[in-house]
Amino acid sequence: MLEKLQNSVKLGEKLGAEFVEARFDDLILRTLYRVNDTWKDILLKSRAGVGVTCYYGGASGYSYTPSENDKELEETVTRAFKMAKASANAVSLKLSFDKRAPVKSQNSDTFPIKIHPKTKDLSYKVDLVNRAVDNARESGENISNVTGMYGELYGRKLFTNSEDSMVDWQFELIDLRCTVTSKTESGNLVNGLGQAHGTMGLELFDTKGSTPEDIGKEAGAHAKEQLKARACPAGKYRTLIENNLVGVLAHESFGHLSEGDFVVIGGSPLTGKIDKKLGTEHASIVDYGTPNLQEFGGLWVPYDDQGTKANKTTILDKGTLKHYLHSRGTAQYLQQEPTGNCRAVHFGFNPIPRMTNTYFAPGQLTKEEALELLDTGIYAIQTSGGQVEGDGSFVFKAIRGYWVEKGEIREPLREVALSGNILHLLSKVEGATRDLRIYAGYFGGCGKDGQYPLPCGIGGPELVVSEVRFGGKA
Amino acid sequence: MEFESLKDGLLSTVDTGLKYARTIDREAEFELYLYYRNRAEVDIDQGVVKATDGIEEGNAVRVAKQNSVSFASSSGISLNRIKRSINEAIASLTSLSVKDERFKGFCEPKKPGREGAFAREILDLSREELITYASNLVKDGQGFDRRIKTVAGSSSAEWGGFAVGNTQGLLQASRSASNSCYVYCMAVQEEERKSAYEYDISRERLINTEDLGETAARKAIDLLNAQKLNKTTVLPTIWEPNAAAAYIYTSFGQSARGEYVVEGRSPIADKIGKEIATPKLTILDDGQELSYPSTEAIDAEGYPQQTNTVIEKGKLTRFLFDTYYSRIYGTESTGNCSRGGGPFGSTLPYETSPLIRPKYFEVKPGSKSLDDIIASTDGQAILITDAPIGIFHSSVATGEFSSVANSAYLIRDGEKKCPLQPVSVSGNFYEGFKQLLELGNDSKKTQYTVETPSLLFDGFSIVG
Repeated sequence: MLEKLQNSVKLGEKLGAEFVEARFDDLILRTLYRVNDTWKDILLKSRAGVGVTCYYGGASGYSYTPSENDKELEETVTRAFKMAKASANAVSLKLSFDKRAPVKSQNSDTFPIKIHPKTKDLSYKVDLVNRAVDNARESGENISNVTGMYGELYGRKLFTNSEDSMVDWQFELIDLRCTVTSKTESGNLVNGLGQAHGTMGLELFDTKGSTPEDIGKEAGAHAKEQLKARACPAGKYRTLIENNLVGVLAHESFGHLSEGDFVVIGGSPLTGKIDKKLGTEHASIVDYGTPNLQEFGGLWVPYDDQGTKANKTTILDKGTLKHYLHSRGTAQYLQQEPTGNCRAVHFGFNPIPRMTNTYFAPGQLTKEEALELLDTGIYAIQTSGGQVEGDGSFVFKAIRGYWVEKGEIREPLREVALSGNILHLLSKVEGATRDLRIYAGYFGGCGKDGQYPLPCGIGGPELVVSEVRFGGKA
Repeated sequence: MEFESLKDGLLSTVDTGLKYARTIDREAEFELYLYYRNRAEVDIDQGVVKATDGIEEGNAVRVAKQNSVSFASSSGISLNRIKRSINEAIASLTSLSVKDERFKGFCEPKKPGREGAFAREILDLSREELITYASNLVKDGQGFDRRIKTVAGSSSAEWGGFAVGNTQGLLQASRSASNSCYVYCMAVQEEERKSAYEYDISRERLINTEDLGETAARKAIDLLNAQKLNKTTVLPTIWEPNAAAAYIYTSFGQSARGEYVVEGRSPIADKIGKEIATPKLTILDDGQELSYPSTEAIDAEGYPQQTNTVIEKGKLTRFLFDTYYSRIYGTESTGNCSRGGGPFGSTLPYETSPLIRPKYFEVKPGSKSLDDIIASTDGQAILITDAPIGIFHSSVATGEFSSVANSAYLIRDGEKKCPLQPVSVSGNFYEGFKQLLELGNDSKKTQYTVETPSLLFDGFSIVG
């Protein structure tokens, strides 16, 4: 296949392209989805295709095909070139980049997992889901729905370009999760969630805290606890934000603002703010394609879809903005180094600046010290997602929470929604715990520019924030 | 492939694929779905140009035998790729001992519905014309006011179709073409940033970019100098069509789906025939209105698309079903089988197993104009002009929502006053429908597969 990609690059250059990139994804995605006693989905998806980018006159043209046939590859390259050439007159901001030395990947660039999902048969994975569901039922109460899900995504990613780079590595990701919906006495429905995931082998599910039994019990117990939870009061409160939700803040509300394409066009409020103080000394945010997975969890992304090697990029250092996340074009335009962040959700899309693993850096507090620092307020835990706007405003849903008084957890709260502006929130961070966790799942993902769902890692320690706005009952 | 021969080509390939499947296992039931779409798009973001021109195609196979069902899909619609899916699906079934006793066979053949409107000139749109559309949008937005700092314009054209067949004898196809454009403007004034967008989408004519850039720019400028509400309270809220559509999609657009009803996750599962909203509310799900983008002759499993009344004068009349869930519930399919998810669809829909989605919700309008509705409010109220952020992340099961309206105005004594800094709006969707005071006469087709007028609710919590 590498030779076909190389031929595509040569053809693009022959047509007149100034630079050509060609990539091939050959991925397997498996989804198991059990709802109550029914197997709703037993899916296997083979996603294979070629994507070609031609650069011409400052414009980029992209085309793609699921075919590996030479004639159709030629047509794909031609489409990409014609699109770039036709667009060149409309360009007023050129994101060109200088040629560099070719990048050559090594076998060791793929993360070494112990039990690859392809080595276990389907019944093994079905059993994982069943064990989670059974344990959820045992630990839950008034259950109206139990859902168990397993997902795996793995396969080859191949890349070459006009510099004769050759990048060849294996993407790997697994995910097991369980949700429980229970009915309160008044007829309201409440939820609980348990999950374990990341670039890991199936040995992950033999690890304490991540076994199917642990995942199911956690989901059931949390739904049960929610039966007695009260609605979150509306207003502004001191808040302790749990690791997973901190990760959503890092990714959604700040990470996107730091993406180079958004900065280049002036759309980000971070434009022109390098070396400006935006947050307290407790607020540091990092993007890293190859973190220590054994210690922290997360996703392994050794190269982006432009062939740039993964980087550890400190975006915000103790409150000061230091770097953006880049494609090669945005990096050169903003006179920074490429960061390995140009990614595409699949071969049907051109790569754009995206995150890899984005997280707040840990601090020095223990959990007890963090609760003591919080004093009285809301402890917001886990997340079912959120949304942001280009000005930095955000809304995130915490699946559950607790009311805390004088450093002690008092009573559970139902699903809570946090909102505000990230730049304001960064100036209110009072402390961070020392435990860093990174989460990267198969289910869900980042959805920038319609490219959903791209797997990304999110995480952080727990953060104490002096003021967060909660939507709830007035 | 050519548009004219697309359906014949897909149907012939489905037929060949099913014949192959039969040679592998004569006792199993098979369903084969093929998808083909040709898409060109130009994005101009403040002078940075990205253009795409490609073909999305893929296949999906479901195999059923002795109450076990499996699914496999692969990119491409060549016979080799289809065979790969068939063999993978059979392999899954063979290695698996789980049963689905509720599965009673694939969709039975029926006479198809009608395809939506079609404009031939969409097929002839050139790359250069798409670039001109996007350039015009950007130019109009940029030229409106010096405070407009960022403008992004895009235009796209696509055509394609799908075919589905199964061993029950069903063999159907549908095709469509559409074009769309979108412009986004951001106004910046010191540290304040406000944005707005406009769009046009059509399957029955070429898009019209006139005034869109200016309108988006004006809306963004109008939102500047926003004031702080400075209170936590309960107020009436007026949701303009883009915002109202998000509300409808996230509430009934989810809870009326048969799988949530059957699986115990819909809070309206036991409310058929009951009054769940004020009598002013009637909602149809229309898969046959010619101008709607999702109108097709058949749904994603081959059942004819149709028009379904979901809520009539406040009473819940019908849930939405595909074949599988309709049989469990004890009714007929409503032609709502879909592939791919979310309000914006999916670029690889063949990778998703069949699920239930509204085709296109239509909220019947009232008689008052938006101005009349604004004038009808006493004291303070909030006008929400675009979808509040966070609303799409609401839980189906609880019906509770908490969102932030970034595009909002203060209403005082029946008059639109100043723009507001972001306000949090929260409540429960279904309690909200009981306090739906008024529907406007300003119906609009929105991006969220919903056509709705403005809606006036009472009783939501506001923090600002």
